[in-house]
Amino acid sequence: MSSHLNWMIIRNNSAFIVKKRNIKKPFSKEPNNVTNLNSYRYNGLIHKKAVSVVENPDRKGFTVVYKKAKATNKPSKNIVRRPFKAGARRSLFKVKRLLKANNYRTDLTTATLRRASAILRSQRPIKAKKAKAAAAKSE
Amino acid sequence: MSLSIARPLVSVYSEKSEVVAGSSIALPFVFKAPIRPDLVNDVHVSMSKNSRQPYCVSKEAGHQTSAESWGTGRAVARIPRVRGGGTHRSGQGAFGNMCRGGRMFAPTKPWRRWHRRVNLRQRRAAAAAAVAAAGVPALVQARGHIIEKIPELPLVVSDKVQEITKTKQAVIFLRRIKAWSDVLKVYKSQRLRAGKGKMRNRRRVQRKGPLIIYYKDQGLTRAFRNIPGVDLLKVDKLNLLKLAPGGHVGRFIIWTQSAFERLDALFGSWKTPSKEKKNFNLPQPKMANTDLTRLLKSEEIRKVLRAPNKRVIRSTRKLNPLTNSKAMLRLNPFSAVLRRKAVLDQQRKNNQRALALAEKRGIKLSPKDPAVRAEKIRERRQKLLKLAAAKKTKKPAAKKTAPPPPKKKAAKEAKAKTPAPKK
Repeated sequence: MSSHLNWMIIRNNSAFIVKKRNIKKPFSKEPNNVTNLNSYRYNGLIHKKAVSVVENPDRKGFTVVYKKAKATNKPSKNIVRRPFKAGARRSLFKVKRLLKANNYRTDLTTATLRRASAILRSQRPIKAKKAKAAAAKSE
Repeated sequence: MSLSIARPLVSVYSEKSEVVAGSSIALPFVFKAPIRPDLVNDVHVSMSKNSRQPYCVSKEAGHQTSAESWGTGRAVARIPRVRGGGTHRSGQGAFGNMCRGGRMFAPTKPWRRWHRRVNLRQRRAAAAAAVAAAGVPALVQARGHIIEKIPELPLVVSDKVQEITKTKQAVIFLRRIKAWSDVLKVYKSQRLRAGKGKMRNRRRVQRKGPLIIYYKDQGLTRAFRNIPGVDLLKVDKLNLLKLAPGGHVGRFIIWTQSAFERLDALFGSWKTPSKEKKNFNLPQPKMANTDLTRLLKSEEIRKVLRAPNKRVIRSTRKLNPLTNSKAMLRLNPFSAVLRRKAVLDQQRKNNQRALALAEKRGIKLSPKDPAVRAEKIRERRQKLLKLAAAKKTKKPAAKKTAPPPPKKKAAKEAKAKTPAPKK
């Protein structure tokens, strides 16, 4: 059924909603949500097209997971995974191109890029500890 | 409205989860019935009251005494007290809900209204809604079922499944069709109930797994019933408590082919009433087209709207011209002139006063002193003006158009000269 109908059913009543104390807007744990927010725009279940970014298991690069619009009722064939292993700038450019060229949920581009950069950032070698160790040694 | 509904073809899967070529069934109309979670919840609440067993306290509880109040004058509360003597119980309060050993407030009675009847129409509409919701992957996932890998939703399997007799085969079937992860989730959720239910024969809890709806039981029930979480249901006897457990729509349902084909006869379409249910037709939806985005962009609606007003009016802060010089300038540009004049006049006054003071006191001011310089500049300027005026007054003999300017200059000169000698 239409995404609006599904949203009205799901918005307050879903296995994926995460509510915490003192936080007004609940989060959402479903797999295809770019921002993990519980909102109509970002929900991964109700729309025909949805995007999400996941870390690669070998901690190098990320994978963009998106839905195929034609296979909404065939869950096994619904999802497409595109891994990006190139360096940071190139990968992000490619992701942006992927979304914009196919006009695929362009309202999610900034969120997707943010998530991808966050993942890449977490994959960078941790420099802080080395600097601290060096400082400790010099003292 | 029924004409505009698209009825996609649902492919049937063999018990080895391969697509059975050539057999695909058009989606029964039930799956397009309006999904009404509110209705389903209400009906579910009422229906689940129907399997309750009555409970109550004994009707003589708290009254098996012949207590009587001692009345006033004995320095005790007036609550009825137990008669007699020779035991702890004598003289204790009785009968009241506040007394130890008394009867409770409003003792529970067995004739409480335990069961609820639900209107037939509502029951049927709720069942239709629950079935419809089970065909929407979003709702099934939101209810918590793991259906990422199943081939299609609604999941229709060939009738061979009805002939499965061994649980082992049943497990293999569920595995092949990728429904096993849902069952695994049931396993992981098995735990002890919180609360007194533990000692009331409701010790263990687990979540619900897939629901298998069949037409003919040829061993199916006995094969699947030992798998935790799996429920079996006959198409002819659809149970809302199983279709929407907890009042929440969207259970993961596996249909057998004959069961699936039976749905059209059971529920009918909007054009044709149901064959099996007397006097029943699928409920009409409130909105035929629920896709809001398409509605809002449609021609019919766009035509009636006015053009969008995209001018952004930002409110600016009002600045007080009396205190803010720029605001004053905006309103009255001449104020700059007035202000400048005021400044210059003030300066002139100061200079004149300084000179006068110096004269009075007989102090000689240095030539670099600002007052002295200003005075000198003034004198020089007045001389120049005089010369210019004199030149111009001589010329009018030749030209007649000259007169007006010199008059003005003469007047100005007079004005300029008069304040100086005064001060």
